[in-house]
Amino acid sequence: MTGENADRDFVDRALRQLPRPIPSPGFEAALMAGYDAWNAERNKGVWAAIRASARGFSEVIWPGAPLWVPASALAAALLVGAGVGTALPAAQAEQSAFSLEQPGSFTLFASDLAPEEDL
Amino acid sequence: MHDPDADDVAKAGQGDRAAAARLIGRHTPKLLTVARRMLGAQAEAEDAVQEVFLKLWTHAARWQPGKARFETWLYRVMLNQCYDRLRRRPTAPLEAAEEVADDSVPPDARLDEGVLGREIGRALEDLPERQRAAILLCHFRELGNIEAAEIMGISVEALESLLARGRRSLKSRLEHLKGFVGDG
Repeated sequence: MTGENADRDFVDRALRQLPRPIPSPGFEAALMAGYDAWNAERNKGVWAAIRASARGFSEVIWPGAPLWVPASALAAALLVGAGVGTALPAAQAEQSAFSLEQPGSFTLFASDLAPEEDL
Repeated sequence: MHDPDADDVAKAGQGDRAAAARLIGRHTPKLLTVARRMLGAQAEAEDAVQEVFLKLWTHAARWQPGKARFETWLYRVMLNQCYDRLRRRPTAPLEAAEEVADDSVPPDARLDEGVLGREIGRALEDLPERQRAAILLCHFRELGNIEAAEIMGISVEALESLLARGRRSLKSRLEHLKGFVGDG
């Protein structure tokens, strides 16, 4: 056996005699607590970012007003929009029928085909 | 190259607690063993491992699988953590060192396992930190030289040199325990 191999074998045998450290009670729970704290901070960060962008947006559309004012206006606008949206299809259907009966006469080359301009 | 941790790292970065628990369960025992042997004190080793996991969580969301093996990164962070702590330690004045009693084991003494372990642990702690790290990574992590060299950020030749010097030095420090360590 070469010197280096003998050294390696001796050291390996010696290190096997070392007791494995036993984590103190609650150590893994402390590591999980570290994860939970990081996760809570991360979520707080996400919500803080959302709140900040909402505030910035509300300042643009309604400067100086509390956040609930533009939020309520937006909700009201959505409700009105939804109401109009449900009433609108019937009117659109009527218009479509009218359009089918009288097809539009516009074509891209209409001016070329018009006889009065064919002079 | 399949990285068995890549999935769990990505999930933990997205807030998956079970994935984080799996990573902790899988890596804590060996991280703690290496940290304990690098730093010498259990409490400091636990602090170091805790720091390593905190670093892991903050990097997990940005982890890019395929760039490097997760475990390689994890042990590199752990070693750096140990080096930082070792360098922050105040160096004892020489006069104080002289007053330390020589409680090493005489060659003919009988040893119980605890005393033998302490002797070996002390000899290991006396090694220069890079030699110690090389030996610990190769012994406790059972890593090949290529991966251990990657963790330490050195060439394979440099690692082999550290290993050879470290083992020779450790063997000479433990010469008086040869009969207890066994001849193999």
